[in-house]
Amino acid sequence: MLRAAFTTKPTEGGRRWRRLFLLLGGVVLLYGLLAPLTSLDALQSAGFPLLADKLWFRIATATAMFVVLASAWNLVGGLTGYAAFGNVAFFGIGAYTCGMLISRAHWPLFLALPLAPLASAAFAALVGVPLLRLRGHYFAVASLGVGVAVGEVIQNVEYRGTPVFGGSTGLFLPIFSVDNRDLVFYFLMVGAAALTIGVTWLVLRSRFGYGLIAIRENEEAAAVMGVNTTAYKVAAFALAAALTGLAGGIFAQWNVFINQENVFPIEYNVQMILMALVGGAGTLFGPLAGAVFLYMLIQFLSGSLPVSLDLPFLPSDARPVLAQVILGLLLLVTVIFVPRGVIDFFGGQSRLSLAYLRRSLRETSV
Amino acid sequence: MVNFLQLLVLGLLAGGVYVGVGVGFGLVWGVLNIVNLAHGALVMVGGYLTWTLFTRLGLDPFLSLPLDALLLFTIGYLLQRGVINRVIRAPLLFTFLLTFGVNLVVINLLLLLFKSDFRSVTPSYAGAGLELGVLVIPFTRLGALVVALLLAAGLAFVLNRTRTGLAIQAVGADRDAAQLVGIDLRHTYALTFALGAACAGVAGGLITLIQAITPTAGEPYTLQAFVVVILGGLGRVTATVAGGLLFGLIEVFGQSIPGSGSVYANAIAFGLLVLVLILRPQGLMGRLR
Repeated sequence: MLRAAFTTKPTEGGRRWRRLFLLLGGVVLLYGLLAPLTSLDALQSAGFPLLADKLWFRIATATAMFVVLASAWNLVGGLTGYAAFGNVAFFGIGAYTCGMLISRAHWPLFLALPLAPLASAAFAALVGVPLLRLRGHYFAVASLGVGVAVGEVIQNVEYRGTPVFGGSTGLFLPIFSVDNRDLVFYFLMVGAAALTIGVTWLVLRSRFGYGLIAIRENEEAAAVMGVNTTAYKVAAFALAAALTGLAGGIFAQWNVFINQENVFPIEYNVQMILMALVGGAGTLFGPLAGAVFLYMLIQFLSGSLPVSLDLPFLPSDARPVLAQVILGLLLLVTVIFVPRGVIDFFGGQSRLSLAYLRRSLRETSV
Repeated sequence: MVNFLQLLVLGLLAGGVYVGVGVGFGLVWGVLNIVNLAHGALVMVGGYLTWTLFTRLGLDPFLSLPLDALLLFTIGYLLQRGVINRVIRAPLLFTFLLTFGVNLVVINLLLLLFKSDFRSVTPSYAGAGLELGVLVIPFTRLGALVVALLLAAGLAFVLNRTRTGLAIQAVGADRDAAQLVGIDLRHTYALTFALGAACAGVAGGLITLIQAITPTAGEPYTLQAFVVVILGGLGRVTATVAGGLLFGLIEVFGQSIPGSGSVYANAIAFGLLVLVLILRPQGLMGRLR
C-alpha cells in the first residue's frame, strides 16, 4: 500500500512531472540556503536587499523543525508501519534535557545539544521494548499515552516540594549570545533536517531499511526470513527518537523558554504524521515536501504569513478555528483520495487525474 | 472506613459516565475495527444539544437524552455512509487519521457555534443528594449511572436479540461471510457507527450534569473510552460496563492518594493501559480473538 518511491521506470508523462518537481525543489532549496545570508551585516552594507527578516527566520526555522519531526516519524510510521502517535514525547525530552543542562548546570549549548538525542533515544529504547510488542491500534494509542504521560510527569514531578523541571512555570534558558542568532539557529535546524533526510537515505539503502520494510509488509514473514524484528523495531524507534530529540534540543535554546505546552503539544503528533502522509509516507522526500507545504498552509490559514486570507464575512478571531476546520477537511480528502501522498505523482508512475482519484476511492471503500 | 465507602460509591458513580462513553466506542471498534478519535467530539455534540434545550426551552436534561441519541444517530449514520465507509479497507493509520480529521472539524465547528466558554446545565436538583447515614449520593450522578447502565443493557439487547444486532455481530465476525448471506455491508456499517454515535450522544447529555462543558472537553473522554474498553475487553457490552466502573474506581481512588494523585490522572490511566495491554491483552473479561 505504502510503497517506496523507487521501484520501476517512470513513464514519459511521469518524467515531466518529476523534472518539474526537481526544479521546484531545487529553487526552494537554493532560496532557503541563500536568502538568510542576506541578513549578514557584510552583505547588507554591500547593498543586498534583505530577503530574510525576523518573521522569515521564525517561519523558516519552524518549517525545518517540522521537516525533522515528519521525516523522523517516517522511519517508524512510514518505513516500519507502526503508527506512532507519541513522538512528541521525544521532542519534549530532548528539549528538557537541553534546557536542564543549560539553565541549571550552565553547560554550553554545543556540549548540551548532543545529549538531547541521546536522552530521547535511551528513553525510546526503554519504552520501545514493551510498546513495540503491541500492534495496530494498541500500539498507536499506547504510544499516544506515553506522549501524554511524559509531559504530565515532567510538569508535575517534585522533589521535596520544589518542582524538578520547573513545574508549570517552565524553564527559562539564558539567551545564546552570538551575532546573527536567527541565522545560527536557522542553519542548526536546517542541519538537523539535512541529517534526518541523510539518515533516511542511508536507511532506505541499507539492509536495516529493507528489514524495516519487510516488517511493515508482513511481520511474521520478516521474522521467518531472519529479521530480528524486535531489535529492528526498537532501533528504528530509537533512531526516530534521537532525531526528534535533537530538534527538541535546538528548539529549547532557540525559543529560550520551554514548558509543557510548547514542547509536548499533542497536536504536533498529528501534524507530523499528516505531513509525512500528505507528502508520502515511506518515501525519502515525501515528509520533507509535506512538512514544507503543510506548515506554510497552516501559517497562511491562521494569518501568520505576510500574505493572508482576508474574507470580509470572517471575524479575525474565527480565523484560527476555520484554519483547523480546513486542516481537518484536508486530512479527510488526503486520506480518502491521495493515500500515497503527493510524492506519488513525482515518482514517475502515477499522474494526478480523475481516474487516479476514483481508483484510490474504490481501493479502500466498501 | 466511612471514607473508603464514600470513595467506593463515588467511584462507581463516576464510572457511570465512562460506561456511557465506553460502550459506543467499544461497539465501533469491535465491529468496524475503527478507533474512533472523533468519539469525544460526538459526545460533546450531545452535550451541547442538551445544554441548548435546557437553556432555551428549560427542558430537563434527562428528558433531552432521547433527542441527543436521535441527533447523533443521524449524524453517525451519514458520517459512516458518506465518509468513513470510503476508507474502511485502508490500513489502520488511515482510519485513525480520518477520524482525527472528523474530530478536528466537529470540535472547531462547535467552537464557531458555541465559543469556548464553559457551559453548565444546572437543574433545580443539581446540588441535592441522597443521604444514607454518613454517605452522600448526589442525585445527578446516581441518575447518570442508572441511565448509563440502562443504555448498556439496551445496546446489549439490540445486539443479541434483534436481527439488526445479529447482522452487526455477523459483520464484525466475518465481513465476507456476512455479505454472502445477504447482509448489506454499507448499511450495516453505517448502522453500527450510528448506534455508537447515539451512545456517545447520551453520554454527552449525562456529562453536562457532572461538569461544565467546552467544545474540547470531549477529548479526554476519547482516550478514557479507549482505556475503558481495553480494561474490560473488546467485543462485549458487559465487559465494557465492568471496565467503565473499574476505571471510575481507579480514578477516584487514584485522586485520593495524598500528595499529587490528581495531577497524574493521565499518567495513571495510561500506565494502567500499558500494564493491561502487556499482561492481559484480552482485557479483564475479554476472550482471546
